[in-house]
Amino acid sequence: MESLFATIYSLMDTALPFAWAASLFMKRAFLEIMLITPLCAIVGIQVVNYRMAFFSDAISHSAFAGIALGLLLNINPLLTMVVFGVLVALGIAKFKTRSDLPMDTIIGVFFAATIALGIAIISARKGLSQTLSPFLFGDVLTIAEMEIAITFALFAVVLIFIALSYNRLLLTGINEPLARSQDIPVKIYNYIFAIILAVVVTVGIRTIGMLLITALLIVPPASARNVSRNVRQMFWYSLVFAWVSGIAGLVISFYTDIATGASIILTASLCFLLTFIISLVRR
Amino acid sequence: MAETAIELANVSVTVNRVSLLKNVSAGIPKGKITALIGPNGAGKTTLVLAILGVIPYEGEIFFIRKGRRETTRPRIGYVPQRLDFDRGLPLTVLDFLTLSSQRRPLWLGYQQAKRDKALEALREIGVEHLRERQIGRLSGGELQRVMLAMAISRDPEILLLDEPAAGVDVSGEVLFCEFMTRVQREGHLTMMIVSHDLSIVTGHAEHVICLNRTVQCQGGAPEVLTPENIMAVYGPHAGLYRHGKDTRPGASATCIHPLHHK
Repeated sequence: MESLFATIYSLMDTALPFAWAASLFMKRAFLEIMLITPLCAIVGIQVVNYRMAFFSDAISHSAFAGIALGLLLNINPLLTMVVFGVLVALGIAKFKTRSDLPMDTIIGVFFAATIALGIAIISARKGLSQTLSPFLFGDVLTIAEMEIAITFALFAVVLIFIALSYNRLLLTGINEPLARSQDIPVKIYNYIFAIILAVVVTVGIRTIGMLLITALLIVPPASARNVSRNVRQMFWYSLVFAWVSGIAGLVISFYTDIATGASIILTASLCFLLTFIISLVRR
Repeated sequence: MAETAIELANVSVTVNRVSLLKNVSAGIPKGKITALIGPNGAGKTTLVLAILGVIPYEGEIFFIRKGRRETTRPRIGYVPQRLDFDRGLPLTVLDFLTLSSQRRPLWLGYQQAKRDKALEALREIGVEHLRERQIGRLSGGELQRVMLAMAISRDPEILLLDEPAAGVDVSGEVLFCEFMTRVQREGHLTMMIVSHDLSIVTGHAEHVICLNRTVQCQGGAPEVLTPENIMAVYGPHAGLYRHGKDTRPGASATCIHPLHHK
């Protein structure tokens, strides 16, 4: 893998002859952002369509407890964060099928319980709070090659799943009974999507931070919706806005010392504002 | 008696311990138009959803194909009473129709055959001009017609329409009635319509099932649609009821074809 990365770095030296791209940590950050931003965008399109922003927020905040549990049990916190996030996602999905409570209430309960669990562990073990800070705000500049490889593998898996099920997911999001009447296995898709969302959110936390990862999921697709006239445009514009925000955010953070996660989301929000104005003008 | 397409045997639906349907047993004849009538809250939509397999039920629903009773559902076209969806979604009518027939993700474009099929269905329902319009910007009547086009584009064996004329304007109703007449004439499609609108029911239905939690009456339209039965199902003002309370002359006069067209 080392030689593969060495080749990629030398290609980047040729393709990106800029001061900001010179150092190794910026090259790694660039690669991670090139993968995580479109990954979030293609999942985010369905998050917006399914109205799952709050669900995604609950997963990202559950990472707090997931990391704390890892540190407490002496297991790699990145692993416990992902596993705990998936369990919370499945828990919410399962609870929904057994309860008449509104979805946001169920999510709210899980949200509160997992945050409380995280605080409980951190407050009992004082030394842990320092370790959590990079996860709160993200720290793409310290990303390791192994993490980039994991993001790449996840990107490939999610892209295959989305390519195979995009139309069916979209129809399910439009109207569930209609989708079920067309023999779409809605329940299975909902569970698979919840798992994928949980994995993407928790993996993305390393780059953007748990406070902002939901924004990376919903802001580029929301911007795309402002200016799209059909499904095809919505997909491609989401990708473009995610990439542009990611790269511009990284470069801005290099020259201004702003946290990379924050500058990416601020750039994405600016994209949203511009596309919103365009949509108003078009009306 | 015509061949049966769907056989309902003691179908019951209970949700949160409230009984919505109780021991519904009925046969829906093949290649004909069946009207499912009954007052509000009678369980008509629930029965449609049970036939679609969207909600759990007790009892059995059989689909008769080549003389054999099967529980596997054939291709069913379904038009819901109301489509609740995110109206801001940038989804064109053509996107919407190909969504259900095409596996290739729509962001890679349409498959030619699927696109042609969708356009053919839109043409058949008289809404081809809407193909580039976003579905969230359609009127209620236009959306109903697009839904009907989506249902028929799947080449269904059975078509289930839940209040198909609700919200449809006069020209839409004309097209809808023409479509029903054509379906009747061709006789290939088994169709069940849930409708309040007695002009549609009396104009087209060959078979009628009256429902009020359980089957109140069923049989050929002329025998079932007697003033006594209608009064028993809808109450004494049934004869005055027209959809949308549109009192303009001719507003509901489009389904005045004679009972049988063959």
